[in-house]
Amino acid sequence: MLKFVLGIIIFVLCFPNSSHAQSDSINEVTLKYEHRIEKYKKRWSNIIPDYTKIQFAGGMGLLSAGIGWDYGNKHWETDLLLGFLPKFSGDEAHATITLKENYIPWKVTLSHEADFSQWMLEPFTVSLYFNKIFGDTFWQKPPKKYPKGYYYAATNLRINLAFGQRINLHFKNPRFSNTMCVFYEVCTNDLYIMCAVQNKTLKLHDIFSLSLGIKFQIL
Amino acid sequence: MIKRDLYLILLTIILHACDVFEYHPYDTKLGNEYENINKREIEKIKNKSSSGTFKFAFMGDTQRFYDETEKFIDHINGRSDIDFIIHGGDVSDFGLKKEFIWLEDRMKRLKIPYVTLCGNHDVLGSGIEIYSTMYGPLNFSFVYNRVKFICLNTNALEFDYSTPVPDFDFMLEEIKPTDDYDRTIFVMHVPPGDIEFNNNVKMTFAYQIKQSQNLLFCLHAHTHTFAINDYFDDGTLYYGCDSMQKRSYLLFTVTPEGYDYELVHF
Repeated sequence: MLKFVLGIIIFVLCFPNSSHAQSDSINEVTLKYEHRIEKYKKRWSNIIPDYTKIQFAGGMGLLSAGIGWDYGNKHWETDLLLGFLPKFSGDEAHATITLKENYIPWKVTLSHEADFSQWMLEPFTVSLYFNKIFGDTFWQKPPKKYPKGYYYAATNLRINLAFGQRINLHFKNPRFSNTMCVFYEVCTNDLYIMCAVQNKTLKLHDIFSLSLGIKFQIL
Repeated sequence: MIKRDLYLILLTIILHACDVFEYHPYDTKLGNEYENINKREIEKIKNKSSSGTFKFAFMGDTQRFYDETEKFIDHINGRSDIDFIIHGGDVSDFGLKKEFIWLEDRMKRLKIPYVTLCGNHDVLGSGIEIYSTMYGPLNFSFVYNRVKFICLNTNALEFDYSTPVPDFDFMLEEIKPTDDYDRTIFVMHVPPGDIEFNNNVKMTFAYQIKQSQNLLFCLHAHTHTFAINDYFDDGTLYYGCDSMQKRSYLLFTVTPEGYDYELVHF
């Protein structure tokens, strides 16, 4: 018992600041850890979607909905959409997935109403998107039963091109989203373009179709 | 009242505008005018009157050749001696709905009836669903002037064993003698021996065809090149037509005694 008390006294005498030093280093570690967590969260926060989008038609399904990110001063956008295609006169319904890149070169502010809202026009947008349709009869590479080169175009993946216009309404007192955007697009795809290039009797209205959409800007 | 009219007008505009929306290149949404076309056209063929001799045109593989198809239709509409047309299949190249519609919108300008077979390309994607809705069953037959045309799906490579290709049950049923015909012509997209054909049964197929009532000849598309073959050395001739790209078709004249053919360029 005496030895134990002596030991403590010697320890305290020899390392008078030790308990303090220890808490300091703990603080340091905690700080480092918090810093790291901060960075980690910040990095992941970059991929929090900036907006949600719903689109009708457009070669992606009857209705598609998804999330997206904007960057480059909001001149560039990337959408990730899931679509639904009902069976109509066919045998089954299908799901689709779309990765869509939009470029918006110009933004024109239409009205400034400082305490209410703001209208903004995007007079021209151009989009390139890949749409994949899911289903047993759709493939990317022809099944092995076919000889090489028998069919050359993937049936499940279309590369689409679209042009459009948008109008934005920016809310001064947002409840859900700060800006609501409605837009239309005319779109076509790789195979339609190929057919039109080869045939003079196919006109632009044969290969282009209309789609409508709505975007809710959240961040 | 005016308000209600306005709503009606608006609704009509929206309904018409639905055509300008495309849900997906492979969707199967088709208007009524694009349903059961073969049935409708066969009805027209049946209602046609003819004396002992008649002419019909055989062409095929119109995939991606819309300019040429229009020229073909203008050419056919310019002559009055042809009774009907048989399209040997491959309406589309990728099984896209629009390809079927693009072709059909041209074909419906024809002044004479036409029937359309299913090609291997027409099965791709959701093409088979579109073909079935638009044209009807893949195996079908009709009688004109006491000659029976038996149209067969021979695109075996596109199907698994759950769908018999060629369908021998159908053939057996069709080759039974009936009062309304004396002679037979077989029409198919893929000829026997082609990689697309179920060659395991090609000899059985040849035998079965031979059992039909007074077989005249067989017709096929798919190979894109005009050719006459006696594939089985049994005297049955298979006539293959050029693709539409080559701007030609086969014109057959069937007489009470026999038949004659001509390769017509336009």
